[in-house]
Order: sequence, then C-alpha cells, then structure tokens
Amino acid sequence: MKPILLQGHERSITQIKYNREGDLLFTVAKDPIVNVWYSVNGERLGTYNGHTGAVWCVDADWDTRHVLTGSADNSCHLWDCETGKQLALVKTNSAVRTCGFDFGGNIIMFSTDKQMGYQCFVSFFDLRDPSQIENNEPYMKIPCSDSKITSAVWGPLGEFIIVGHENGELNQFSAKSGEVLVNVKEHTKQINDIQTSRDMTMFITASKDNTAKLFDCATLNHLKTFRTERPVNSAALSPIFDHVVLGGGQEAMDVTTTSTRIGKFEARFFHLAIEEEFGRVKGHFGPINSVAFHPDGKSYSSGGEDGYVRIHYFDPQYFEFEFEA
Amino acid sequence: MPTGDYDSKPSWADQVEEEGDDDKCITSELLKDIPLSGVLSGGAPSGGAPSGGAPSGGAPSGGVVSGGRTADPDLVKGEPLPSPKELVNGNIKTVTEYREEEDGNKVKIIRTFRIETRKASKAVARRKNWKKFGKSEFDAPGPNVATTTVSDDVFMTFITSKEGFRMLRGGGGAGARAPPLARAAPLVPAEPEPVQAQQSKTGKYVPPSLRDGASRRGESMQPNRRAISRIYLAKDKTTGQSKGFAFISFHRREDAARAIAGVSGFGYDHLILNVEWAKPSTN
Repeated sequence: MKPILLQGHERSITQIKYNREGDLLFTVAKDPIVNVWYSVNGERLGTYNGHTGAVWCVDADWDTRHVLTGSADNSCHLWDCETGKQLALVKTNSAVRTCGFDFGGNIIMFSTDKQMGYQCFVSFFDLRDPSQIENNEPYMKIPCSDSKITSAVWGPLGEFIIVGHENGELNQFSAKSGEVLVNVKEHTKQINDIQTSRDMTMFITASKDNTAKLFDCATLNHLKTFRTERPVNSAALSPIFDHVVLGGGQEAMDVTTTSTRIGKFEARFFHLAIEEEFGRVKGHFGPINSVAFHPDGKSYSSGGEDGYVRIHYFDPQYFEFEFEA
Repeated sequence: MPTGDYDSKPSWADQVEEEGDDDKCITSELLKDIPLSGVLSGGAPSGGAPSGGAPSGGAPSGGVVSGGRTADPDLVKGEPLPSPKELVNGNIKTVTEYREEEDGNKVKIIRTFRIETRKASKAVARRKNWKKFGKSEFDAPGPNVATTTVSDDVFMTFITSKEGFRMLRGGGGAGARAPPLARAAPLVPAEPEPVQAQQSKTGKYVPPSLRDGASRRGESMQPNRRAISRIYLAKDKTTGQSKGFAFISFHRREDAARAIAGVSGFGYDHLILNVEWAKPSTN
C-alpha cells in the first residue's frame, strides 16, 4: 500500500478522528492548527483557525455539522464543520485534555487538566441552551481530585462517559447525575486513549503500562489484553474484522537517544479474540500518537510524534489474511 | 463510503526527472502508460489515482497520478513564465505548470490526475462539494502538493506464530522448543496417579521417562550411540533456545543413510522430522 502523507502540522500529532461516515478526517497536533481532510484522496478541506496553543482533542458530531476541539490555551472551541467558523468558545481555567459530543450531538463534554492550582474537572454543556455557553455555566461539573483524566469517551446512548485516569483507573460517570457508576483499575499506568467499537458495546484502552485492554462498555468488565514492549499511545478496533491496531513506541523524550529500528514505531495489528499479533506496518519515524480505523474498515490512519498523518488503504492481502490459530 | 473494490485505492507517484540536455517531453508517454481504469502497477512514470468521491456523475475532482519535470525547448532563461495549462482528456487531467528554479533555470512540471467518480451517500457527496476554508481557502480543487503527498510503498508484515510451522521451516526439527507438555497432560489423566505412588514408596527421584505409564519417548531419540560421533544442536546465542535443527555425524555413511531413511518424515510430538544430508556450508 502507498500511504497518503498529510503534512498539515508543524508539531507532533495529538489526535486524529474520522467523522461517522469516514469521508472526513480531523487531525489536531501540538500546534494551534486544526485540519480537516478528505480521507479518500488526502485533500485538505480546510483548517479551523482560532486556537493559540497545542490542541489536545477533537470530535465531530453524528451528522458532521459541528466540530469540537479542546486546547492547552485553556479553551474549548465549537466550530461549524462546513465553513470553519467559530460557533462558540468556552474558556477554562486549565488545559482541555479530552472532549466529545454525545450521541445526539446536543451535549458536549470536556475534561480539564489539574494544573496551575486548579482541579481536574469534567464539564457538561447542553448546546440546546445557549445561555450555558454564554455564561460559561455547565449544567454539570464533576471534580476529579485524586488523579487527572487523560482520556474520555461517551458511552452508548449518551448515558454515561468513560474516563481513563493518569493512575490507570477507569471510571464511568453518569451524564445525568455525575456520580461514579463503575470504577475499575486494570492498568498500572496512565491511560492514553480510549476508543469504542463501532456498536459501542466494547471499548479499548491504550496505556503507558505497555498494554491495551478491551472492556465491556456497560460493566467495565476486562475482556482481553494486548501486550507490547513499549508504551501504547492509541488503540482502535476494526469495524469489520476482529482486529485491533495499536500505535505507540517509546516515549517522545527517549526518541533522540535511540534509532528508529529499535524504537518499535510500527502500527501493530492484533487479533481481538486470540490476543496475538499478526501484522505490522512501518512508516513513522517517531512514536505513533493516535490511530483510527475508517468506519468502513478498509483503511486506517495514524498520526505520529513526527507530525505526519498517514492514511493507509489496505492491500488485498489484508482482507484475504486468515489467522491461523 | 461503501465503494466496492479496494483495488481503487489512492496511490500515486511523483516522478521527478532532472532537467538536463534531454529535452524530450514525457507528457505523451505518460498518458500512454496510464490505463483508463484500474490501478496502475508500479511502473516508472505512473501510479494509481485517487480522486474525489463526487456525487454520482457529478463534478469531478482529481488526485495526482504522476508528475514529470522536464526541460522544454520553449523555456528560455530570462523570458516570462508561460501561464499554467490544464487539459482534460476523458478522465485524465493534465496540469502543466512552469516554475523558475533558484539557479534561474525554468522547469516544466506536468502532473497527471485521474478523475474518478465514486458513488457515495448523499451526505458524503454534499460534503465533497463543500468550499475549502481556513488555510486551504485558496487551494485549487484536488490535493495540494504542499500538504498532501504520497509516501513510499509500505507493506504489512504478517507474523505467523504457529510454532510447528516455524519448526518445519527451520529444517530438520529434532530439538524442538519445550513441547507443550502441559497441554498434552490432560489427555492421559490416568498417568499421574501411579507415579505419585511410586515416589512415595522409594522417596527417590524417578525421571519422567522411566515412570509408570511413561511413553519412554526419550529413549527412542537416542539411537545407536556407538554409530554417532557427534551431535550438534544449534541454539540461539542469547536465549539458549534451540533453533529447531541439529547436525548429527555418524562414523559410517551407511548408518547416516539408514537414519535418514528411518526417521525422516516421522512425527515427533506435534512436529514432523525432516532429516537430510548436511549441505556444505556456504561461507
């Protein structure tokens, strides 16, 4: 396969995300630019300009009308997807680490870092009530005093959010009452990424403790473990096969002291049920920070510490490959 | 986007030809090389084509197929640059641009796009026609080479972890990795009991191969000792694990031939032994 290389960022990629149909790919990095691309040919549709710091997270709603980005410039922006115009701006006290639209696209959630004397919070805004954003008054704000939130996604039907903490804990917060529904601790280190399966019944976590783990969304039961030798920065589930792709590599701070060969910067494909690795794809010359499967399962993209985003369309061999167990 | 075959994946190559005395323009050649459908194989001045998922039959947008940079007799130093040209021929679009290099030489850049029409859902098709905005506001339709390029071919390396398979490939497999005894044990549930009885009687260690009910398989692997002069089991330097093959030297050639005839092709645990004459070392 010949990957399409997207060079729209000047610094390392922090997150990439497809919209629901997968025709658009949103990429954010540690620079203030938010890019959106056509995934079919890598053409850049546009940029959302307005942030002044590193952008940590991005999300698009169900029908790709709105785009939400959270940044280290202490703000969360809501954009019109088509025109790139800023629709709303929420100022925060500290950097916005994770953000997301609920299933209906009416409620947004974002979490802020424990930083500069401020606590870590998850804030919920209802977009149907404009006064909430105008007055910067979320309808709910959940404090997380013990450990900072490093990743978060909405659960199915917008009933709860699943958050991963710096200490490896996983929590399920109700989106109505804000209480902790389930709490588990299966990871020993920071959870870098959480991504749900296409039907939102399962989700996969990527952790600094060199593993990625599969959980049940509703009960947070630990189902599978995928082991590697390096920190895992991101993990995604294939929508059509029982496949998992893991992106990672040694930490950014150690990269300059080691060669790419031993850095293990490949995207690694595991079988979901057997938990064994069956394939690798090379390409990045730094750790992979974010991976995402196209919703049709025929391509995947990865964004790396090297600042590049690569869109890979699978070769026929991938579809013919059968796991010999 | 539910478009059928994954043959039409985007890929293209940017072919750059150094400007030199060769003043042949490769445009016609390029076009000749591009089949009108399907993906191009990795031939020199070609590549597959990406394209826009335009609404069925709608306005097409292109992807780079390939570009050529050639010297052109029309380009004379010092004269103003000719304006860029765009030529659409069927589903092939050729864009010819001129640019002045730092050293004053002018180059002609020919990029060939293949226009592809794909079926997509209404929402996707509508989005494909959105106007570009932000930093891409003034970009022409189709990918901008400043932000979108195609990187070298990469392949997915498939990893097969089937142990037996690996052993067989390794050559003749006498020394296997620790056979999966744990997995084999439940198959003979009657075995452990007499062993324990024996142990408690004498208090002495009894090797597994000599215990009651043991298959004495270990003995079968020790053929006529006197006939063998040397056994060399290849092991990994760092892990000490067997590499799955061994060299066995016999005093007499007939013994070796007999060993090959007798053992080759036989099963050993879950492996099939492959015994053949040692080949002279290559170095």
